[in-house]
Amino acid sequence: MNLYLFQALNGIGLGMIYFLISVGLTIIFGLLNFVNFAHGAFYLLGAYLSFSVVSITGNYWLALILAPIFIAFIALLCEKTLIKRVYHLPHTYQILVTLGVALIIQELCISIWGPIGKNISPPDSLKGVVQLGEFFYPQYRLFVIVFAAIVAFGVWILLDKTKFGALVRAGSEDAETLSLLGTHTHRLFSITFALGVGLAGLAGVLAAPIKGIHPFIGPEILGLAFFVVVIGGMGSFTGALVGGLLVGLVQSLMTTFWPQGASLMIYGAMAFVILLRPYGLFGRA
Amino acid sequence: MIRKYLKQSAIALSILSATGIVNADTDPVTIYGVKSLSGSFASYGKYADMGSKLAVEGYGEVLGQKPVYKVIDTEGNAGKAIRKVQEAINQEGAKYFNGSTLSSTALAIGKEVHKSDGVFITPAGADELTGVSCNASTFRWSVPTFGAIRETVKPLFKEHPDKKRWYTITPQYVFGEALLSNAKTVFDELGIEHVGNSYHSLQEQEFSGYLTNAMAAKPDVLLLLNFGSQSSNTLRQAINFGLKNQMTILVSWSSGLEQFQELGSDITENVYFGAQYWHTVDTPVNNELVTKVKNAYGITPNYPLAADYISTTLLLDAIAGAATTDTKKVISTLEGHSYEGPTGTETIRQADHQVLKNYYLLKGKTAAGMKDADDFAEIVSSGKSFPEESSLACKAI
Amino acid sequence: MKFKNSIIGGVTLLAIAMMILMPILLPSITLATEILIFALAALACNLLLGYTGLLSFGQGIFFGGGAYTASLVMIHLDFGLLGALFAATVIGSLLAFFVGALAIRRTGIYFVMLTLAFSQMAYFLAYTFSDWTGGDNGLLDVPRPPLSLFGFVISDLDSVESFYLFVALIFALVFILARRIIQSPFGTTLVAIRENEGRASAVGFSTNYFKLVAFVISGAITGMAGALYAMLLNFAPLSNIELLMSENILIMTIIGGTSSLLGSLLGAGAIVLIGDLLSSIWPRWMMILGAALIAVVLFMPGGLWGGLEALYLKLTGKNKSTQSSSSEDKK
Repeated sequence: MNLYLFQALNGIGLGMIYFLISVGLTIIFGLLNFVNFAHGAFYLLGAYLSFSVVSITGNYWLALILAPIFIAFIALLCEKTLIKRVYHLPHTYQILVTLGVALIIQELCISIWGPIGKNISPPDSLKGVVQLGEFFYPQYRLFVIVFAAIVAFGVWILLDKTKFGALVRAGSEDAETLSLLGTHTHRLFSITFALGVGLAGLAGVLAAPIKGIHPFIGPEILGLAFFVVVIGGMGSFTGALVGGLLVGLVQSLMTTFWPQGASLMIYGAMAFVILLRPYGLFGRA
Repeated sequence: MIRKYLKQSAIALSILSATGIVNADTDPVTIYGVKSLSGSFASYGKYADMGSKLAVEGYGEVLGQKPVYKVIDTEGNAGKAIRKVQEAINQEGAKYFNGSTLSSTALAIGKEVHKSDGVFITPAGADELTGVSCNASTFRWSVPTFGAIRETVKPLFKEHPDKKRWYTITPQYVFGEALLSNAKTVFDELGIEHVGNSYHSLQEQEFSGYLTNAMAAKPDVLLLLNFGSQSSNTLRQAINFGLKNQMTILVSWSSGLEQFQELGSDITENVYFGAQYWHTVDTPVNNELVTKVKNAYGITPNYPLAADYISTTLLLDAIAGAATTDTKKVISTLEGHSYEGPTGTETIRQADHQVLKNYYLLKGKTAAGMKDADDFAEIVSSGKSFPEESSLACKAI
Repeated sequence: MKFKNSIIGGVTLLAIAMMILMPILLPSITLATEILIFALAALACNLLLGYTGLLSFGQGIFFGGGAYTASLVMIHLDFGLLGALFAATVIGSLLAFFVGALAIRRTGIYFVMLTLAFSQMAYFLAYTFSDWTGGDNGLLDVPRPPLSLFGFVISDLDSVESFYLFVALIFALVFILARRIIQSPFGTTLVAIRENEGRASAVGFSTNYFKLVAFVISGAITGMAGALYAMLLNFAPLSNIELLMSENILIMTIIGGTSSLLGSLLGAGAIVLIGDLLSSIWPRWMMILGAALIAVVLFMPGGLWGGLEALYLKLTGKNKSTQSSSSEDKK
């Protein structure tokens, strides 16, 4: 197998991981018009929680189920106490409030789990590699790709084909009318927020065996999620997918051509996209 | 509200400092520890602080009084660190400083302390500390890149002379470049074929692309020249990609026990690590340190703890030995001082204020081979490698 | 015009009073100097945030840029003190012009993201061009030249007191200048843009022009603050241009209070002091910052200044409505 081909494949794999990391952010923005700067912090919390579950039970699959649910629950609490007060405020205020939340979560994580990072290994069944020519690809990453695709499919079905999804999309267009029609819009928003944040936590669990768990990865993840979402189009689910894949591909191929410039390329691309095509590739006006 | 509090605290402080001025002659010896307690490097700062505290509290009397330890939190920020150090020098007449794991902070503190003819001993990594930026006030306990490379690459090659193809992964900045150029020199000496290098940026956390490049080059040894969370991530991802089965992996600049605890034996087994310190080193001072740390904190000492413990002890010893707090005399006492440290016999070279000590090549143990929760590695080799005095970059001492 | 609202009355007097008291009340003068320097940066940030309504994550670009510029011209071109400050101010405004010209093309979250992207790019450039910036190690041996005018050395600024006095003078001048700007038609237009950009534009103001000028002024002041910081520390670290620096400046601006220029002094003082007092006792003190941010946005939009003002009104028994409306915006 050709090096470039493998790098491209690796890029796609990365892209699916990035999609998973960003889909929660774009859902919250698209449906609630809310900018969540605590996205990276919830990812981090998800990763740490899964570490705790794994160290107690030794079972990764249990962590995969429990951690996101717990995160979604915390998100609900957050929403009821804090977030709902900020929906109507301009994005600026949302950014500042969630920045505060992110700081608190980060320091809480250090208080609970200590300042040294943690590690989770992939589950035993997925520890091996798949051979592709002279290259090897981790089974676990393949699993994440497949899982991400399932999540993508699931979320799409949820938003596009279910009544819940229809209500959420209606609420994002016109919440007032929707509530006049009899829907508990507040409850709807809470659930949507919990869903978006839960996805962030899920991403944390899935990416932990790849990226590790370290108290200060929150800002890195947040930045990554925003790049993907801005390039793909804020609020667009398809955008998160395509944006993620693009970012993954660019990053992977850059390592062969100009490795030090990989980050620069991505920030530059984001600035480029915002300036030329502000709603990204798939964003709506 | 805040102004009222400030007023109260400031008045209290001025009273205290006024009495300090009055008692200048009988002030206890004070060691100022510069540690990153909050902020991004909190993991180092916590243990470094513990090390210095242990050294000061366990020390008897110096110049007739118990020594005092004051901590300066850098908040992980070089600018804050310098301002606080300046403050300590101006307000409290601070003269003896120790700590700082961040190279940028250490270099700047070295300059600041030198301005007031103080003494500063640090375990930070930058070659410049005892190289081009050396000065009479700065001493460094850790082994710079010259030794780190030679004490890992050479013994590893000696053990496996058939592994002639080496691939490097390097962070592209001054420190990484220093490791790389040392590596290249050693490769030439030993006849190792440098089959390729991948540079990456300081913020990189995704190494699959670079590992792919490495796979394509089919090396016998993968030499990681990055450190901290970057080396941990590279290693973790390398293991994921099954590279452990195809090549030997050497992490030349490891942070020691912390890194092993973070990664776990699954990842670290059979991987080689270069380390400044390891808790199973069998020397009287280290055995004593391990016992002391277990009794005081209930943990196994790691590198930041050991480094700052011995650096602080050195300062106190030198002051006691010189029988004065006059920094010029203390500096001459330190220069050329040979003593028993955690790594065995250590000497402070007068020419560049570099401590000549061992650097270790460790090999990760399997989970089954571990005698206790921290017994992650065995020591494969150790030794002292330092540039000749004639070819030192340090000219200012 | 009431003395309170003239540029040297009201909050300016308060600011000057604080600057006189700070070196006396605070544990150290270097601490007071650092507070003033960050207060300058927060003031500049507030011109964008509080008065124009622009949330910029790019202030670190100008702060770090100013620090590097001043250091480089002093080290390589033998510039004196005022020359270096001037150079830093110019480069700060140029950088702001470049960043602003591109960033203001978008609004809301996209504007914020652009400033974020530029901030990361600036950081990347700073550590890549390490021959100039010292890279990760920063620029060392940054001099602090004596203050001299027309060949006469007024002070060599070696002592902490003299440097504090110098920084305080600069802060006072900038403060007065900023008040002048705020109270001018230009300033009121900025506020109009913040309140309702669409309407301001409809009325005939070229909003982009005003936003850009605000950016340039902000960049100039921040650049100067960066230069002063480099002179204080004799060191220009990479952390000046990090995203974290921009975040810290924003946090100071907000917690201090965005409705008044004095908020910048309060905010900078509060954050720096809390860090100093708490960090060695409780390494997790940044949790308080997070909580404070939330509290300010949700409950105390006027920040510390707003809180103090409310307290003052309560204590003196005055009602908010008895205050003339002009005193609200013209701080």
